[in-house]
Amino acid sequence: MSIFEYNGSALVAMVGKNCFAIASDRRLGVQLQTIATDFQRISKIHDRLFLGLSGLATDAQTLQPLSAYQRLVFRHKLYQLREERDMKPETFANLVSAILYEKRFGPYFCQPVIAGLGDEDKPFICTMDSIGAKELAKDFVVAGTASESLYGACESMFKENMEPEELFETVSQALLASVDGDCLSGWGGHVYVVTPTEVKERILKGRMD
Amino acid sequence: MKLDTTGMESAAPVWGSHNELVDEFSAAPSFELPNTTDFDGFQKEAIQMVKPAKGTTTLAFIFKEGVMVAADSRASMGGYISSQSVKKIIEINPYMLGTMAGGAADCQFWHRNLGTKCRLHELANKRRISVTGASKLFANILYSYRGIGLSVGTMIAGWDETGPGLYYVDNEGGRLKGMRFSVGSGSPYAYGVLDNGYRYDMSVEEAAELARRAIYHATFRDGASGGVASVYYVGPNGWKKLSGDDVGELHYRYYPVMPSTVEQEMVEVTGA
Repeated sequence: MSIFEYNGSALVAMVGKNCFAIASDRRLGVQLQTIATDFQRISKIHDRLFLGLSGLATDAQTLQPLSAYQRLVFRHKLYQLREERDMKPETFANLVSAILYEKRFGPYFCQPVIAGLGDEDKPFICTMDSIGAKELAKDFVVAGTASESLYGACESMFKENMEPEELFETVSQALLASVDGDCLSGWGGHVYVVTPTEVKERILKGRMD
Repeated sequence: MKLDTTGMESAAPVWGSHNELVDEFSAAPSFELPNTTDFDGFQKEAIQMVKPAKGTTTLAFIFKEGVMVAADSRASMGGYISSQSVKKIIEINPYMLGTMAGGAADCQFWHRNLGTKCRLHELANKRRISVTGASKLFANILYSYRGIGLSVGTMIAGWDETGPGLYYVDNEGGRLKGMRFSVGSGSPYAYGVLDNGYRYDMSVEEAAELARRAIYHATFRDGASGGVASVYYVGPNGWKKLSGDDVGELHYRYYPVMPSTVEQEMVEVTGA
């Protein structure tokens, strides 16, 4: 098992009609042993921008805006003060990419998934590898130990221009189906569906094995 | 007032700020480099962890009424779940069961081989083989293949003339007689529940529920165990399958989701 599979994770982000959904599993484990079933992998940068971090949990917490070592939230707040506005998702993705590449020879063992609403409420999603190589997509992005199953599930379930409710159903089904094929992720799901007017956060009931 | 430019400083060095002794080629990289002897391979080494063995949970225990045998049904290849419906309790003959932990092919083949040898013993000696004898046969076979790489961690449970019998046999050739065993990566979790709830004089239903709970708890904590918790009972008339419950459903039966109390609720105001 590699270092990326030490804690286990599953992340997916999908684009809908003027909205997006980002979802993660809730397991924190140490190899095969499950330690917690309420681990937060997705954090809010601002109302229209979310960051999910898969991979090694300690590195995910270090980069996450919710932790003490808030490199990302510090940089975003500084940006907000200077520019007097929120960061665009594309800009934030560049920032994360730069921060990851700074540690090129001793990287954070994380794969981020970034999802946000940009200008004119156009949804933006992207993922990157552990040293910051961005991968933009128009439909969905996945990360984590269950990524191969997630690719398959999303590819078959995705449709263009889904409304928020249908998008929620699709993302939830794709996530739950994929983590049921993976020993290291699952134990519930956490889904955020973001539209220009509101953010809906939901917990999914899944198999707890 | 001096402006704070810490956020705007780039990581690259500015030309002209270097020592003249340093030549141009070594001035370019500005990344922090780790102090290791093996720069190219140190990350791979850090990643090497002990490979988990025998991803499964099986258990068996003797009690007043006979032997209770239970197992999960998940097969995993590293992190990937290859099946959620594997039969890990193998029926050697109508009064003896074997459990499977380790390599699936190894267990299935050698258990069937043991069944053949038991039948041959019956035909040659005009009476059924004892659990002691069957487990000894099995252990001797596995001992002769020691070091080749078989992976078998099994329990032979049965009822013979002397009453209930339970033996643990593994691929090293070890053979142990006992009252309670659990084998596999989920066994520590199963032992916790099993040892806590075990009493010799339990009824069949109580023993079955204990076995089911122990498997369920192991599937919750262990990533390599899951699927269906099967419970078998071996009594004086042979074995009988008691239940096969999906552990996903067992979780919500043991820990039903309570609707959380709503502290503040926004309600539509009509009229006003």
